[in-house]
Amino acid sequence: MTASGSEQLLFIVAVTAVAAPLLGRYLAAVFGGGAAPGDRVFLPVERLTYRALRIDPDSSWTWRAYALAVLAFGLVSTLLLYVILRLQGQLPLNPTGAPDMPPLLSFNTAASFVTGTNWQAYEGETAASYLTQMAGLVVAQFTAAAVGLSVALAVVRGIAGSARTIGNFWVDVTRSLVRVFVPLSIAGALVMVGQGAVQTLRGFLTATTLAGGRQVIPGGPVASMEVIKLLGTNGGSFYGAGGAHPFENPTGFTNMFDLLLVIVLPFAIVFMFGRLIGRRWQALAIVAVMAVIFIGHTVVSMQAEVHGNPRMPASVSQLVTATSPGGNSEGKETRFGPEASALMTVGTMGTTAGATDSALDSYTPVGGAGAFVAILLGEIGPGGDGGGLYSILVLALLSVFVAGLMVGRTPEFLGKKIRGPQMKLVVAYVLTIPIVVLVLGSTSLVLPAGTSSILNPGFHGLSEVTYAYASAANNNGSAFAGLSADTTWYNTTLGLAMLIGRFVPIVLALAISGSLAGARVHARTRATLGTAGPTFAVFLFGVIVIVGGLIYFPMLILGPIGERFAG
Amino acid sequence: MRRHLIASIVLLAGLTVLLGFGYPLLVTGLSYLLFRHQAEGSLIYRHGKLVGSALLGQSFTDSKGNPLPQYFQPRPSAAGSGYDGKSSGASNLGPDNPLLIGFVAGVNTVGLTGAPSARNPFATRADPACVPVTVKGTPVTTPVPGERFARQPDGSYVCDPATIPERALAYRRFNDLPANAKVPVDAVTASGSGLDPDISIANALDQAPRVARTRHLPAAVVIALVHRETQGREWGFLGEPTVNVLDLNLALGGLR
Repeated sequence: MTASGSEQLLFIVAVTAVAAPLLGRYLAAVFGGGAAPGDRVFLPVERLTYRALRIDPDSSWTWRAYALAVLAFGLVSTLLLYVILRLQGQLPLNPTGAPDMPPLLSFNTAASFVTGTNWQAYEGETAASYLTQMAGLVVAQFTAAAVGLSVALAVVRGIAGSARTIGNFWVDVTRSLVRVFVPLSIAGALVMVGQGAVQTLRGFLTATTLAGGRQVIPGGPVASMEVIKLLGTNGGSFYGAGGAHPFENPTGFTNMFDLLLVIVLPFAIVFMFGRLIGRRWQALAIVAVMAVIFIGHTVVSMQAEVHGNPRMPASVSQLVTATSPGGNSEGKETRFGPEASALMTVGTMGTTAGATDSALDSYTPVGGAGAFVAILLGEIGPGGDGGGLYSILVLALLSVFVAGLMVGRTPEFLGKKIRGPQMKLVVAYVLTIPIVVLVLGSTSLVLPAGTSSILNPGFHGLSEVTYAYASAANNNGSAFAGLSADTTWYNTTLGLAMLIGRFVPIVLALAISGSLAGARVHARTRATLGTAGPTFAVFLFGVIVIVGGLIYFPMLILGPIGERFAG
Repeated sequence: MRRHLIASIVLLAGLTVLLGFGYPLLVTGLSYLLFRHQAEGSLIYRHGKLVGSALLGQSFTDSKGNPLPQYFQPRPSAAGSGYDGKSSGASNLGPDNPLLIGFVAGVNTVGLTGAPSARNPFATRADPACVPVTVKGTPVTTPVPGERFARQPDGSYVCDPATIPERALAYRRFNDLPANAKVPVDAVTASGSGLDPDISIANALDQAPRVARTRHLPAAVVIALVHRETQGREWGFLGEPTVNVLDLNLALGGLR
């Protein structure tokens, strides 16, 4: 890595290390049940909401009721977004004249945004009206993030709490939005606009260029979407080019600001967890595992991209010099350069944002593999808002079980015994997404409907397909974008992959939480396996790598590994 | 379940009003108050007419698409037919794709029969990685026996001009660089957005003598202008140093 690459990585690590614990403390105050900063402003808004929803904010539910509310909310959100997309051509606020979206593409897009995946098979500039972007997609981005955080809170209450109930979904969603996502988004959006991000309701302008040609200058309420796309670990952009577009991500500063918006909150949620359960070392062990995964895959990709494309002809210089960023610059913006591009793009792959500032399809095999691996490890480096926490907690349960078997003790996590019923749910959780990815991915590779969409030949083309399903099922939403995904086959199967990959794990995580809710908490003895120290962190890391690695290894061999060693 | 559904509908209706309209309109209002120029798209006007945006690259070509030598040229673009503000995007070509790097022996070479081959049968003297095109100009990466390719008057193949080796040859020719000069990588690769407003300093310096010659200016004056227009890294370490092509070309007009 070059000096500027390492400095930017250090900057990200340092800011996160300071900001995440502070934000975690705030979150713990907000969701801990007592008084919290800003009550005077936020409480009246929340009370009004509860009255409108006719709910009792002090009631707490069983996991079944909680899961049903999540599913009901998901269903209504999907239907509403579907209707907006289908009718956008006839609705107001459409200065660019976007037509109604066709049925299957609308299904795919609605599923994509409601699940927080933000896979985009449409072109933002021409295929989505401003009304769709503002009132449809942005609302879904807010709610998807709030639902993720709410589910994490419910899971924590069940796993660690003493009550038999796990909270109230409407209260969790309301408080997440009112106290976390909306205020942070307003502040973040203004920072972005100050740097040059666009925020206007005008449609296309036509400029007469210096050389006498014509150029369309797009507009739109971009910054307001950009910030919740990142903060909510969603990833769906206003424009087709996403975070590479200068109107979304105008400077080297916004590029790193974008990455911070993505990763600080998921880390903060783990710190919040530590405070809520009163075991901060437990949170630190989890944060350490997440940080190792985040830094690991990011550094590998940065290194590969700055080194350049090994097939580049000798007539071209990829060397990094004082006057040239060099590296593998196909699909990358000059103002970011290859390292910061890889840092931002591959860095967000460890979360479910999958926000990119460069074209993944043009990454070197090793650089692209960094993104691939981050997704396949199950989005826990540091994962989505809330999703990262409940995913790694499930893997922690698996780890204590395996460790318990190895040393012949009853596995315990946070003082609660882990038994057969929990382990069945854990295994179902761990297998759901790989089954979706492998079944749909391999089916696509034998059907003409799947293979005809591939752009690049050879191993790389195979990666385009398998990556699409890995990305959809893990609710990441990034793409090896050469794949033509707006087809009947891909719109349908990827839409299903996203819905299954979102809601089945949520229901299973809530079920695990429910089965542990109210279980007896055993006092810690000398025989208890500690789950907060470095030993457990290393063990958890090992389990994550073995589970993810073994399931997907054949897929990686046929994709980036084959590509790297071919020819 | 019915209670949940009703609560979902009420909540979503409220959120659509508050977050779908209230939030973006509030941000728009504040942005216009605080950063109007940026919010509108950093638009550049000259003599009262809109010439573009400081943040979006644009083409400097004649009506036939040929680059104009009196202007600094931006990077290749994959947005529509080039710098199309309505269809931002990248080429998405993989690192081995012949459409990107040409036919490289042992990597992706395909023979006249369509089977992989140890050498590139379409190689020309100037471009050993030549990817042939049909008579209509479409590049052929998977030839079939009997296919008809476009030829030069001397019988050699016409190559796809969009591959990196061909772009490097064209860049050297256009800028009168020696045959062994290394071309800066940003000059022959397309950006992620297709609207990259910037080029590297090295790329601008390679173009400066040609621009100076066309405009009958001393090369040193244009080179000095490139250095003046160079944007350093933000905070000294964020991103890369760049030269904004539109700003640079606008500044050229003020030189004498």
